Amino acid sequence: MKEKNLTGKRINRRTFLKVSGAVGLGVTATTFGVPTLLRAAPSPIKIGSIQPATGPLAVIGQGQRQGNQLAADYINSMGGIKSMGGAKLELMLGDSETKAEVGRSEADRLIKDGAVMLIGAFQSGVSMAIATLAEQRQVPFVMDVAALDAITQKGYKFTFRVFPTVGTFGRTACDYVKLMVTEKKVSPKRAVVTNTGDPFGKGQGENFIESFKKSGLPIEIVDHITYPLGIHDLSAEIARIKAAKPDLLFPVCRPGDSMIMTRELYKQRVPLMGIISPGSPGWYEPTVVKDLGKLIYYVMDNAPWFHPKSKLYQDANKAFSKKYPGSYLDGNSGYAYTGILVLADALERAGSTKPEKVLEAIRGTNLKNHPMVGDAIKFGENGDNINAATAMVQVLPDPDPMNRVKVVLPKKFAEADYVFPAPQMWERG
Amino acid sequence: MNTDLALQLGVQGVLLGGIYGLIAIGLSLIFGVMGVINFAHGQMMVMGMYISYWIFVLLGVDPYISLIVVAAAIFLLGYLIQSSVVNRILDYPEAMQVLPLVAVGLILENTVLLLWGPDHRSPQTSLSLETIWMGDVMVDVSRLIAFGLAIIITISIFIFLKKSNTGKCIRAAADNRMGAVLVGIKVNRINNISFALGAATTGAAGALLIPLMPLSPHLGHDFTLTAFVVVILGGMGNLIGALVGGLILGTAESLSTLILPATLKQVVSFSILVIIMLFRPQGLLGGKK
Repeated sequence: MKEKNLTGKRINRRTFLKVSGAVGLGVTATTFGVPTLLRAAPSPIKIGSIQPATGPLAVIGQGQRQGNQLAADYINSMGGIKSMGGAKLELMLGDSETKAEVGRSEADRLIKDGAVMLIGAFQSGVSMAIATLAEQRQVPFVMDVAALDAITQKGYKFTFRVFPTVGTFGRTACDYVKLMVTEKKVSPKRAVVTNTGDPFGKGQGENFIESFKKSGLPIEIVDHITYPLGIHDLSAEIARIKAAKPDLLFPVCRPGDSMIMTRELYKQRVPLMGIISPGSPGWYEPTVVKDLGKLIYYVMDNAPWFHPKSKLYQDANKAFSKKYPGSYLDGNSGYAYTGILVLADALERAGSTKPEKVLEAIRGTNLKNHPMVGDAIKFGENGDNINAATAMVQVLPDPDPMNRVKVVLPKKFAEADYVFPAPQMWERG
Repeated sequence: MNTDLALQLGVQGVLLGGIYGLIAIGLSLIFGVMGVINFAHGQMMVMGMYISYWIFVLLGVDPYISLIVVAAAIFLLGYLIQSSVVNRILDYPEAMQVLPLVAVGLILENTVLLLWGPDHRSPQTSLSLETIWMGDVMVDVSRLIAFGLAIIITISIFIFLKKSNTGKCIRAAADNRMGAVLVGIKVNRINNISFALGAATTGAAGALLIPLMPLSPHLGHDFTLTAFVVVILGGMGNLIGALVGGLILGTAESLSTLILPATLKQVVSFSILVIIMLFRPQGLLGGKK
């Protein structure tokens, strides 16, 4: 019947409307599952992603960007934002070059180009600058990674944080150390803390020392060494650490200096019960783990981490490794991924990109299905994720370098038992 | 214990200084001959590092052996840069000479980023973890080798400039370009060779650094700056001065760790620079202008 009408010589207006209307409805219904009026595809929702894609943190910055992108691709492949007619997420890329002022101007550029929400920025200093701008421009800003407590303590309304704060890191690190010392019945007496001199490094180092003193652990911090980010030589610093005769080393690093530090600790034969990072990159990145080989075994890091057994994580990681060969979704890029999930979830509930609607939706977030260690994501009064948590991960011997970093604590999420105290670097065969 | 620490820091400082010296020699040579400050210096070194890294990863040849190949490759690169860019800007005001070379540096840096990606790489070479112990003081073998080669390379360049025909032409061109042209020296070619030679020493320094520090595309700037400070310390255009400047800087930075926080390292090096500039503006070994 329809065919006859369509191929016949005359198609009157009514027939045409009936047929095309039916076809249109059918298509819409099958695609979106809801019978909406036929209209043009909804315009994409622009999200500005500002990450340190070049400069000393380029490795991490690129990973962050990839995490953002992969999550956006995932949301789009699942049909986009359904409450907005299947609108797709479009990631607009900004590069902070690790500098606060550049990050801010990049964010400004993205907003001018139509970004309705921002995500980023890995570094606390840069995030702070963007948070101020987001407040002025009234654009919601979700910090996927940035740890400094102060960013969310200024009463900003448009800034949210998915990541654990420095305060959380310090507290959980001390709890884990206490647990391990008690379980293994050892009594380390002296410790050294090191950190890089950027806002994150200083904040993380100083906060850890503060938490450490409050924790009542019977261990004395005998030296605290700060060195500039991007340093090329740590021989003098390690000589100083050796002279302080510590049992434990608590380093806050980045991929470059962690490599120099580990080699130098080996060369100068600094005896240690363990290297336990209070929470910093530099100890779990694939290139670092691969290049340092046996030297990095048994190093622990109190890191924001993915939930290795969660299905969402496993699927996302598979897609990540496929798209970016040689890398995996780690604690940082995992949060970059999660940040986009939070935004998409909020957009879905808001059904609009109006700042006030989105803002309200983000405030009401209760995201249970996410790929990280920690309970459902909920934002507190100041915009921090009240359920953000860390895991203790350890580099354990395994023939495959990609398979060496394991969650060891909390036991609920653990993949392996921790090794503590660690055998000395030069006694590992 | 503290004397041990001081001794350890002293040894490390001297060895580090030798490497600083080697990086700076090329810059000094280029400045000495052409009066141009090579702002792409650090990036050329990073290029050398990556070539050496590549040879190591693909062919398994240790950086100490591939050193010659790396130096040759960077020699060619230097020759190319001089003949295509620097020869054209020699007579420009100094401020205008800066920009083309900064541009060359940016191009090199991003080429490296494009070819090898942003990751920090630190392959385990055969000697990278070797150490010699003298009592409680550790001597890092790869640093010692770098230090030794730095001195050998400086002396060979010195002899080359004094004794060989090309060396004499280079010195003539440095002394008086017009005079050199008048006696029939092909000054442009001599310039090409000098720049290439300066570049080659830097490339060699890059290869020597492989066992010592992770490479990343963005190392260049810091080393351009370090080399610049070293050259000013020792006297612009003076090769032995570059080595001496390097040693002073390395030792001072290392020993400062005894009393100052490590974040103030650069304050130490720049304070030394300011003091030298105040009392000996031509640098420690610089002649009168």
